[in-house]
Amino acid sequence: MSAIVPFFQWCDNSLIAQSIRNSRVAFPVIENFHLFALTVLLGSLVVLVLRQFGLVYKSQSIAEVATALRPWNRWSMAVMLTSGILLFLSEAMKCYGNTSFRWKMFFLFFALLFQFTIYNRIVKNEGASAPIGGKVAAAVALCLWFGVGLAGRAIGFLG
Amino acid sequence: MSILSMCQWLQDTNIGTSIRESIWVFPIIETIHVLALSISVGLLLVSDLRLMGYIMKRRPVSEVYEQIKPWMFIGFSIMVVTGIFLFWCQAVKAYNSIFFRAKVVLLILAAINALAFERGIYRTVDRWDNALVPPMEARVAGWVSLIFWLAIITCGRTMAYTF
Repeated sequence: MSAIVPFFQWCDNSLIAQSIRNSRVAFPVIENFHLFALTVLLGSLVVLVLRQFGLVYKSQSIAEVATALRPWNRWSMAVMLTSGILLFLSEAMKCYGNTSFRWKMFFLFFALLFQFTIYNRIVKNEGASAPIGGKVAAAVALCLWFGVGLAGRAIGFLG
Repeated sequence: MSILSMCQWLQDTNIGTSIRESIWVFPIIETIHVLALSISVGLLLVSDLRLMGYIMKRRPVSEVYEQIKPWMFIGFSIMVVTGIFLFWCQAVKAYNSIFFRAKVVLLILAAINALAFERGIYRTVDRWDNALVPPMEARVAGWVSLIFWLAIITCGRTMAYTF
């Protein structure tokens, strides 16, 4: 692990990181955007998962609901990653030693991987009802993304 | 009895003190409060966007709104319950925070907006249920709701910082 320490130090010393640290309001403002994006990202996922379990919007196919939500999912993910990178830069060395941060990256890696290789393709082809595999995929996606949120909140609390 | 002394009394109760002094309970309640944003404001976003005419335009407004409503209600119930406990254990700090005060005012305004929508333009939904873009009054209700809730999230998050 120690081979990546210089990278974290470089992030921590970057101009962007220093500017964020030197400002009283930059970190809270960026974090608020991170939280808005969390609301939209997890919210759009919850709606889609509810649809896959047949609990809402049954008059639309699963693929239709996924298409309607896709731009919101994509935009919120972009805001999430951008604000997340900025927050990380400003406290990179703190993150390096933080177990919750490592868990967050673990969940984030698999959440992104699962969503873009498996989940998005599954919902694109689902019609009126989701087969058991689709429901399992929905539960896995939900757990992975909520895992990211949970571990993210723990960064501040647990260390 | 002043509001401040009521806050002091509240956070000195057994429950208030226990939550505040526990290593785990406060972070757990706070995490639930934050993650439940997705099933409260996150779901509200979808019905607000339909009111504004930006999402699921081919489906009736009442359908998009009514079907998500019970789930939204579950989300907001989680928010209220966890929020009450969070306030309970740090009532004085909250009382002294300008962001908390703003949050309370905004919550009341958001509730008034929701009520005005239900009692007002939504009563005539039959006439514009299938409209791709709902009438001005409904669009405004959607925008106002979304702006209030973003402001509520901002106040809630910012009250945790000490400037």
